[in-house]
Amino acid sequence: MLQWINSRFPITDLVERHLSKYPAPTNLNFWYLFGFLLIIVLVMQILTGLWLMMNYTNTAEEAFSSVEYIMRDVEYGWLLRYLHAAGASAFFVLIYLHMFRGMMYGSYQKPRELIWLGGWVTYVLLCAEGFTGYVLPWGQMSFWAAQVIISLLGSIPFIGEDLATWVRGDYLISGITLSRLFAFHVVLLPIMLIAVVFFHILALHEIGSNNPDGIDIKKHVDDDGVPLDSKPFYPYDITHDVYALGVFLIFFCAIVFFFPGGGGYILETVNFEPANPLSTPEHIVPSWYYTPYYAMLRAVDFSLFGLTAKFLGFVTMAAGIAIFAALPWLDRSPVKSIRYKGIYSKIFLAGFVVSFFVLGYLGLVPPTEIKNILAKVFTIIYFSYFLLMPIYTRLEKCKPVPERVPT
Amino acid sequence: MKFFSFFLLILAFNIFGADEFSCGSIECDDFTVNISNNAELQSGLSTYMNYCYGCHSLQYSRYKRVAEDLDIPIDLYIENLIYDGSKPGELMKISLSKEDAINWLGAYPPDLTLEARVRKPEWIYTYLRSYYLDSSRPYGVNNLVYKNVSMPHVLEDLQTSLTEEDFDRVISDLTNFLVYVSDPSARERKQMGVYVLLFLLLFTSFAFLLYREYKKELK
Repeated sequence: MLQWINSRFPITDLVERHLSKYPAPTNLNFWYLFGFLLIIVLVMQILTGLWLMMNYTNTAEEAFSSVEYIMRDVEYGWLLRYLHAAGASAFFVLIYLHMFRGMMYGSYQKPRELIWLGGWVTYVLLCAEGFTGYVLPWGQMSFWAAQVIISLLGSIPFIGEDLATWVRGDYLISGITLSRLFAFHVVLLPIMLIAVVFFHILALHEIGSNNPDGIDIKKHVDDDGVPLDSKPFYPYDITHDVYALGVFLIFFCAIVFFFPGGGGYILETVNFEPANPLSTPEHIVPSWYYTPYYAMLRAVDFSLFGLTAKFLGFVTMAAGIAIFAALPWLDRSPVKSIRYKGIYSKIFLAGFVVSFFVLGYLGLVPPTEIKNILAKVFTIIYFSYFLLMPIYTRLEKCKPVPERVPT
Repeated sequence: MKFFSFFLLILAFNIFGADEFSCGSIECDDFTVNISNNAELQSGLSTYMNYCYGCHSLQYSRYKRVAEDLDIPIDLYIENLIYDGSKPGELMKISLSKEDAINWLGAYPPDLTLEARVRKPEWIYTYLRSYYLDSSRPYGVNNLVYKNVSMPHVLEDLQTSLTEEDFDRVISDLTNFLVYVSDPSARERKQMGVYVLLFLLLFTSFAFLLYREYKKELK
């Protein structure tokens, strides 16, 4: 039977190449667990989303009450919704850790540029998915966050206002906007997300995983062409991944079952009020996972060359996300991993991490004068990690990378 | 170095410290949520239906669900707590129309199904106990937590006839009821959560042992 299939479609070969016999470097550590967990969360979001969609109504009149209908009248509807909402936050926690791993160990460097770009597109799509999903419960924060984000488009010179109206489908955020964002959230974006993730993994498996030392394990192979410093995914990696999944689920389920609102960070308290176009909430904040970029948007409060502050802020914010894509070409270091890079790389990476957290915090709280100055300073530190990279990676003295993985 | 970090800490608190009161013009009173006691929740429901429900709907909740969750016999419930002949399976909507409300009160009383999620339970508990006499207001009362509130002091009778302790208990039960009705699956969720976590701990222990065995093999 298997032979019959294999002679028509080489399924055994495929499974062995991508799963069971995939050669993973022997020195993979904690930081290499998040890719697997991300796939699990993606599957969970698709399944819970599917079931939520069976009971959700995508109209301005019914959306809010249909969510409460799910919470109260649908069997285990509350579980589906809490899993999906906490899943969105978990998705971002994991993807940020996963991205940081890549930055730390230089996984974006040649020959893995396309893998990195695939991951970056995934992240951008995820941001869009998070935003569109956030609007669907049609609470106060859904409405006003949509208002703020879409009106950013309006700041683009000349075409801005028309573009914003085109995207909204209306002069204001309305039921028309809601149903188009719903269509994006459940059809367009997930399809693109799955396709890009598929490409990301396929590309990874063709080139092979990087590792914490940034050593090219393909240089030393046995007679069968299998790298000497590797181990098959099954059973060595899968057991590590399943163990990690257990640990992750303990944290995740503790939140879902005991703190489903996440103190207002997973489900904002203001969003338990139905959308009301006539009353603006005192303090509009995006979800925590966008707040570093929101802080950048607010940090730019000056106009320049006739361009408005709002537009410049919008550009800065977009650049903050877009600049990750340039990383493979900004890094001129002869080595990949931070373990062998020089002191400048370490300082700038640390600066990046600190600025990401500080900006994340600043984006959450109401602005003050001092906080605005801090936001400016840390926005500069954030960008200096990227923009100065071609300089500091060439200036610094790197340690020699060993030929084989040290044991 | 120690001095420097201390200095930074002070600076951080000065920059980031909050300076507003948690409940309007005062600090919230301490309140510990307890939704495990059905007798208290029943008392809260009874206060709600008698004093609040005339104006404030619970439009996402159904009569029957509340009766079942709070262990109230359905006949008793229909007889005493459903005033308008609604069926037990219906949503708890009120008959007050928007126009009338605006004519009589100046505003439409909000639905309170999710109030305990929008505002903190401590806020509700403090708010309902913070009415004071103020002759400049249309109903002769004002509130320390909610300045120039348009709601009259509906519970005034209770506050004047009961001892302070008993009145606080009435408000406490009412607050707990609002917490319950804002997320009625919470009790089931927490029970289930215990089993889920126990299973996961067991699962993860075995997953760890398996991982360790294979790791040994590698060396």
